[in-house]
Amino acid sequence: MHSTVKAAKTKRSLGARAADVFLSDYFVLYMSLAYVAVLAPFLPVLLAPANLSNVLSNMWPLLVVAVGQTFVLAIAGIDLSQGAVVGLTSVVGAMLIATMADPVVLANAPVWGLVLTESGGPFGQMEWGFLLGIAVMVAVAAAIGAANGASVAVFGMPPFMVTLVGLISVGALAIYLTQSENIRHLPDAYVMLGKGDIASVHLGPKDTPQIPRRQIHSFVTYPMLIAIAVALLAHLLLAKTVFGKWVLAIGVNRKAAELSGVPVRRVVVLVFVISAVCAALAAVLYSARLEAGRPTLGEGNFLLDVIGAVVIGGTSLFGGKAKIVWTVFGVLFFVLLSNTLNLMNLSSFQIDMVKGGVILAAALLDVLRTRLMRERMR
Amino acid sequence: MTRTKLLAAAATAALIGVGSAGGAQAATICFAFQDLETEFWIAGHKAITTTLTEAGHTVIERNANEDANRQFEQVRDCIAQGVDGIILIPQDGESAVTIVAEAQDNDVPIAVFNRPPSDLSRGIVVVADNAAIAEQAVDYLVEEALAAAPAGETLTPLIVVGDLGDPNAVGRKEGFYAAIEKHADRFATPIEVASEWDAATALANLEAAVTANPDIDLLFTSSDFLFPTIRSVLEPRGMWKRRGEEGHVLMGGLDGDATACQLIKEGYVDATGVQDLYFEAESAMDAILAAIEAGEAQPNQVIEDPGFALTAANLGEREMDMWGCVLLSEGFLRN
Repeated sequence: MHSTVKAAKTKRSLGARAADVFLSDYFVLYMSLAYVAVLAPFLPVLLAPANLSNVLSNMWPLLVVAVGQTFVLAIAGIDLSQGAVVGLTSVVGAMLIATMADPVVLANAPVWGLVLTESGGPFGQMEWGFLLGIAVMVAVAAAIGAANGASVAVFGMPPFMVTLVGLISVGALAIYLTQSENIRHLPDAYVMLGKGDIASVHLGPKDTPQIPRRQIHSFVTYPMLIAIAVALLAHLLLAKTVFGKWVLAIGVNRKAAELSGVPVRRVVVLVFVISAVCAALAAVLYSARLEAGRPTLGEGNFLLDVIGAVVIGGTSLFGGKAKIVWTVFGVLFFVLLSNTLNLMNLSSFQIDMVKGGVILAAALLDVLRTRLMRERMR
Repeated sequence: MTRTKLLAAAATAALIGVGSAGGAQAATICFAFQDLETEFWIAGHKAITTTLTEAGHTVIERNANEDANRQFEQVRDCIAQGVDGIILIPQDGESAVTIVAEAQDNDVPIAVFNRPPSDLSRGIVVVADNAAIAEQAVDYLVEEALAAAPAGETLTPLIVVGDLGDPNAVGRKEGFYAAIEKHADRFATPIEVASEWDAATALANLEAAVTANPDIDLLFTSSDFLFPTIRSVLEPRGMWKRRGEEGHVLMGGLDGDATACQLIKEGYVDATGVQDLYFEAESAMDAILAAIEAGEAQPNQVIEDPGFALTAANLGEREMDMWGCVLLSEGFLRN
């Protein structure tokens, strides 16, 4: 009798512990570690320093966009225009800061002669001109975000429809401005923001006087610092300020938040501004690493990656439940997933199918976690 | 020696033979391509993967699905995997520059197949002389147009332009204009239709252009893959006619694919500029394998494919020099 009770207690305790892990803020991090532990014996290159360096490098720009999307999902919204904002702002920035431009490629662009000439953009020859370019990118993004937010908050239009229109029209504007061409010749200081190393490491013995570049791995990079700074600021904003509490309150119940005195309209507009500004900062990282302003940046499966990473992290699509640390882990898992599927030599179509399945599973997990949490609260 | 042992010995000898036919020791090659949306890329992909695999090399394939950032990340993954060399079909000339630099900075030799970087100074670049090939094809169309038109009549040419971020598209446009400008007094200013290498964009823009200018005398498309799109615009307007029929629009393209070959045979198309796909694929593979064998990490070389024009006039002699006609004869379009 005594042993039966003890066994039941142990069993209950194990179940409760499993539920604790499942509901923990670090669940996705544990899942990522388990995923690596399971795959590492079959994919030895997975833990190679060069590969880990790549995983981190691929994580930073995606994290910046995902942080913005987290705010929108937290108010039970969605921002489909982020990819188009990335494309447009990358073009706007590039045409302002390019140090030269090729008339053969760009002479038919409407911006040719007005903003962009053979000697580049208006800020192209200034030492710190790239910072002015980034400021304009952020301002353009903020204006788009404000328009999206106002449409949702003031006119009561559904975020899905508003941002879908943004996706189409902002994307079209990006293509129109350069007639689909890319703008090259970005300043070196700008390019550094996307791929510059601050500290690199070499692991292993030094066999030759000159260590081959291939064996030197990026460790601390500019995109890493930018992404961590954005995530940290966003975390403070969402978790430690009244604004953050308002955001989550709107996501739980907009009407109740309104009745409680939350300035719902202002908060919703600001949330969409944050989302678009994050997209613009990501545009800096993406265009700098590819060394060109590209109107097609953010097209294709980009939104799947962004929303997928946030949802995998645990942010609820129904609103009211979001943490930046979840998004960090979600992006890490998502990038790891892409990386390992590549290492398995799967085709891009198979990779996208697996990613879709994982996102669906994450959405299902979200439902289960919410239900479990409610049961615990009773 | 038993019969089984004899067979085993023969098989071993055959394998050794295959290995030596491959030349260099077995290498791991990353083949990163942007997509396989046209016959040219499909045939190029097949030629490269089949030849390398049969020569005993390992091929790691990466399809970027037309996403330059994804291709950049895939190439970096390949480098992390420790590949010996990279063959790249980039999304465009700009991303090619960045990716070539990334590979060379990491001491991995890289060859760019057919779609050249905007800067040709780095990497092995195998590229067709697009301007010269386009000019040859359009020269033929111009001669035919002038021969058929009454003296003094001004003719209207139209060009479907590719994505001008791709140096191939720029070269083809230059070749077209070079041919037209030889007889500038007989031709009106050419109508330019943007395609961005996208069939839907080409369809919309060509419909608008043909509606506004129904009296086109000569049409040149910067890629053969757009012929089905062109047909869907011209046919309902009664402008899709064979050579010799009233209302035939002189038409030419560039690539040399199976569809173009069939349309030239049927008389709807008059000429196409041919890129020697097999020469280009072989050159890219040979150059990258030679660099690996020599331990050369940053080989820089431009290999030019001179190409030629297949026309209704030389079809009988040169048909089987065109890769698309070879595929057609193998039943490619029946699949």
